Amino acid sequence: MSSLSRFRTLLWLEARRSWVWAVGLIGSLLFWAWGMNQVRFVDPGEQLGVRAVILLVACGIGAMILCLMIGRIRSETRHGQYQVLLLTPPSGYLHTLARFSFAGVVAIVYYIIIGGLAWWAIAQAGLRLDAGSAAQLMLVCPLYGVVLGILPALAWTLLLMVFISSYRISGPGWVPGTVMILATPFLVSWIAEGIWRISYRLPSWRLFAGLRAAIDTAAWEAELEGFEGVFALPQEPLWVMLALSIVVLVVAGRIWQEVEA
Amino acid sequence: MLASLTNVTKRYVRTEGLRDITLEFPAGEVVGVLGLNGSGKSTLLKVLAGLLFPSEGTATVFGGAPRRNRARVVYLGETDALWTWMTPQDALRFMTGLYADFDAARFQELLDNLEVPQRKTKAMSKGERGRLRLAMALARDARLYLLDEPLAGIDLLSREKILTSIVKEWHTDETILLSTHEVAEAEALFERVVFLRQGYLALDKRAEELRSEGRSVVDTFREVLS
Repeated sequence: MSSLSRFRTLLWLEARRSWVWAVGLIGSLLFWAWGMNQVRFVDPGEQLGVRAVILLVACGIGAMILCLMIGRIRSETRHGQYQVLLLTPPSGYLHTLARFSFAGVVAIVYYIIIGGLAWWAIAQAGLRLDAGSAAQLMLVCPLYGVVLGILPALAWTLLLMVFISSYRISGPGWVPGTVMILATPFLVSWIAEGIWRISYRLPSWRLFAGLRAAIDTAAWEAELEGFEGVFALPQEPLWVMLALSIVVLVVAGRIWQEVEA
Repeated sequence: MLASLTNVTKRYVRTEGLRDITLEFPAGEVVGVLGLNGSGKSTLLKVLAGLLFPSEGTATVFGGAPRRNRARVVYLGETDALWTWMTPQDALRFMTGLYADFDAARFQELLDNLEVPQRKTKAMSKGERGRLRLAMALARDARLYLLDEPLAGIDLLSREKILTSIVKEWHTDETILLSTHEVAEAEALFERVVFLRQGYLALDKRAEELRSEGRSVVDTFREVLS
């Protein structure tokens, strides 16, 4: 039996056990879209600002729900399903990868839709984006954000939950768990600082190059004064966070092999 | 030797599940693992399944570490651990996708014999769920079966069906370790009985020897563990 076939089965299992979370999360965007539509101001800049805040809240809540979805190992442990999974032939790495992949796909769909909502909010504010800028807003920005923030958060949550579950029965598992939770803010600030130091050494990605030329609304001229129409997105953070996510996943997969149930 | 425990002690945070247990399980035995609540039966089976690691001593299954050889062992835990959304068809998808030794035709046959209904486990009775779990376990073609309390909390008719299936599916090269409180009902199955008391090995004897001494397993259970 190939690993691919087992991976497909584990993905199917993830989809079956988490589809309510996934559909609920993506469905919640209807609520956020409705909320954004309720925001009506005379000033388009103010309106766009409030709508952007709503989208940021949706981004944050989405990240939390995704972490809760991937981290339900404790309840599985209590109900014994984790025991069933631990005894299946696939390695801990494959189990970890399946969980991470499913959550990652849900995250990508969720944040791409948020990108779409951002485009809608911008269009409502009277800004007409060219096709390239619209695609960058709806695809490149969400994917960049997912790789930079969401995937590492998911990988870290998975590691945290597996770590707490390991040695739970014969040892005080709450100690390493508490240490990891307390260490998280320090770790994040340390990584952010490190990334900031090395950013922009490699060529950056230029986004929204056609934006300035595409804007034909006189009302925006004052707002955009001084803006050259280009965002330079550093690529180093992306690679660093991707590499960190992989390392964390490998560690989680390794610990999975040591979990008692 | 299919499985062995050598001076195995398993410590939990405040208690000891097993204390210095040494046992060997050759091929072709049906072994009753018997004892009162908290005697270490589940711990023993979990150590052999690779779900728990010994604090001291060595557990071996097929010549290696139990967790490493988990694909070759069938473990049916005491916890009713199926997902609530799972139907027998989902169980089939799950098992065929993960276990190379799972026989789909045998599973269907077991479902029919055990009269498992085609609905989600959350809509099944405890007995029906127990029978589904047993069908999932017995449809695998393994040589070592660890069955932890498969009869617990299940009605009389279901218990009979489960015991009949265990007898019917057993092959002479396979070893079954069955832990149960229903000693009287399962007595006829056992070729060997292992009694545990407070984590210690209280008695390890062939059922035939007990019978030749004029004692039943139930009598011995009372005698040794009272």
